[in-house]
Amino acid sequence: MKDFTLIKENINKESNTLLKNRKNKVYNSIKNALNLYNEEYKFSPLLKRVSKKFDILNSILNIDTKASFNNDLLKKYKKQFSIITINGIFQKNISKIPSGLQVNVYNDLNKDEKKAFHKSFNNQDDSNNDIFTSINTINYKESLIIKINKNYSSKEHINILNFLNSKSVNHLRKLIVCNPNSKATFLEEIINMSSNENFSTSVTEIFQEENSEIEYFTLQNNPNDFHFNSINISQKKNSISNCFTFSYSGALVRNNLNIELKDKNCYANMYGFYALKNNSHVDNHTTVDHIDENSISNEHYKGIMDGNSNGVFNGKIFVRKKAQKTNAFQSNNNILLSDNAKVNTKPQLEIWADDVKCSHGCTVGQLDEEAMFYLMSRGIPKNKAISILLGAFFEEILEKIENDFIKEKIKNITEKQLEYFAL
Amino acid sequence: MLEIKNLHVSVDHNPILKGLNLKVNKGEIHAIMGPNGSGKSTLASVIAGREEYEIDKGSIVFFNKELSELSADERAKKGIFLAFQYPVEIPGVSTTNFIKTAVNQIRQSKGKKPLDAVSFLKIMKEKMKLVEIKQTLLSRSINEGFSGGEKKKNEIFQMAMLEPELAILDETDSGLDIDALKIVANGVNKLKSKNNATILVTHYQRLLDYIIPDFVHVLIDGKIVKSGDKNLALELEEKGYDWIKVNN
Repeated sequence: MKDFTLIKENINKESNTLLKNRKNKVYNSIKNALNLYNEEYKFSPLLKRVSKKFDILNSILNIDTKASFNNDLLKKYKKQFSIITINGIFQKNISKIPSGLQVNVYNDLNKDEKKAFHKSFNNQDDSNNDIFTSINTINYKESLIIKINKNYSSKEHINILNFLNSKSVNHLRKLIVCNPNSKATFLEEIINMSSNENFSTSVTEIFQEENSEIEYFTLQNNPNDFHFNSINISQKKNSISNCFTFSYSGALVRNNLNIELKDKNCYANMYGFYALKNNSHVDNHTTVDHIDENSISNEHYKGIMDGNSNGVFNGKIFVRKKAQKTNAFQSNNNILLSDNAKVNTKPQLEIWADDVKCSHGCTVGQLDEEAMFYLMSRGIPKNKAISILLGAFFEEILEKIENDFIKEKIKNITEKQLEYFAL
Repeated sequence: MLEIKNLHVSVDHNPILKGLNLKVNKGEIHAIMGPNGSGKSTLASVIAGREEYEIDKGSIVFFNKELSELSADERAKKGIFLAFQYPVEIPGVSTTNFIKTAVNQIRQSKGKKPLDAVSFLKIMKEKMKLVEIKQTLLSRSINEGFSGGEKKKNEIFQMAMLEPELAILDETDSGLDIDALKIVANGVNKLKSKNNATILVTHYQRLLDYIIPDFVHVLIDGKIVKSGDKNLALELEEKGYDWIKVNN
């Protein structure tokens, strides 16, 4: 960990001057962050855990994108639009991209596009506050640049499939631009091709132009993964964002979701569901920043923890002085199924405006015994009663999904997990 | 059908039932009356299999089978039904789906095939008339936002669907206006047959104007202190429970 020369070398290898300047800036914040106690990681000692196991500051020179990947892995996603990366490197030839969307890497961009990229890249992410975003910013190899055309609108979702097989630390990076009046749905997954322990980071910056709408689903289900994920959204006038985070397992998974409502009449929905067993540990840290007036944010995260699993929720709402007539809601509900399962939840609200409507709250509890007895007294066996009650708990998040295909997929994954809980 | 012998039950080490005896035969209606805190609801819950109650002594035998080792769902499958004093609200679980699951679990335990959607709906429609319950109510989550009367009707509706051998109605009359009380009582009377039995747990004589019991038992301090026919209920109404306490 002490070897800062390594990361400095990584920066020196950067041939693009603009990017090099960026990275140098970020480097300074890393140096400080490494030695500071970080309150934001109080319940999820990710840095401590991964720095023991992985060479986290090192960056790989030659990324192998062939090993252990074969096209059979894509069978499941046949007929669906998919943007595919292997160890963070874009695979254009096997991706299937709808017209109306452009997916590129930096070198494919023309001069103007490059200019535009530099105006956005690293401007919206949380590299000032989070060391993993900083490391990602310095060590990522290739950033996907996804541009959604003006007026693009499709009910069909687009997968973002990140295949990993490397023992080294992988850094995924994306920049998404939603042009005016566009509407797109993404479902991002990481598919770990090996059963080895693995550490990866993923940083996504999303820029929403006026009247654009994005639905962004994140699906996490790799028990051996240490993973850091940071999604950062900047919204302009009349735009809508719908973010869903579904986590079913992970050695230690940290999700940062930061949304800035920079303009009037923005709408942000943030939903999450985590259902954990064994030693899984999932931490959701969210921030929504109301900067201008008349916007709505709505956040609901729910979790079920069994075995020795560990859940963390931290939700911050900021309402700036200018953001009058804000509506901001936040809630987090948890069910603990075992004596060793744990959850830490912390809602935070900071309001400077005086004409706003805000609420926040969290609950931690167990299965309702009265309800259990009621169901059982009608002849329903205990395990079935448990899965009925947990299913009802989940339903509130499920019903928020508009896309039928994704709804069905999430429902199936969750039902499997709930059946396990009921055993 | 049901025979309870010398039953001692405690909750958190507090004795509630202290040597209760009760015998119920097919075709009978028994009313259990008693003041607050005498153990009426405990008795109802213990027969249905609520886990918090500990049986310290005695036995509950139902159709020659000791119940204490059976879980609540197994008892339901044997034909025991409890209409709750306070039916639980369960958001997110549709009433219809819940009842369908319950009916089919009980059918399955009797070696019968599960009902398909069409025949289930047909039976449901019939039974709905019995308690005058509305379809819209049944498509909502279990008891969520139901009025007091609707909750109790829903209990009797479930009883009609599950066709138990022994129905225990725990203060089903509490919180009911006179019209709802008549509907509920009417439902119970129609479900009555020579092959099933009913235990009514109640505070007041009022319910017994509509459901005529064969036996009335007075439960005081965890024991049945007096048994008689329906006239005992009238006498209690007139003289109060103190009358019995003084005489014992």
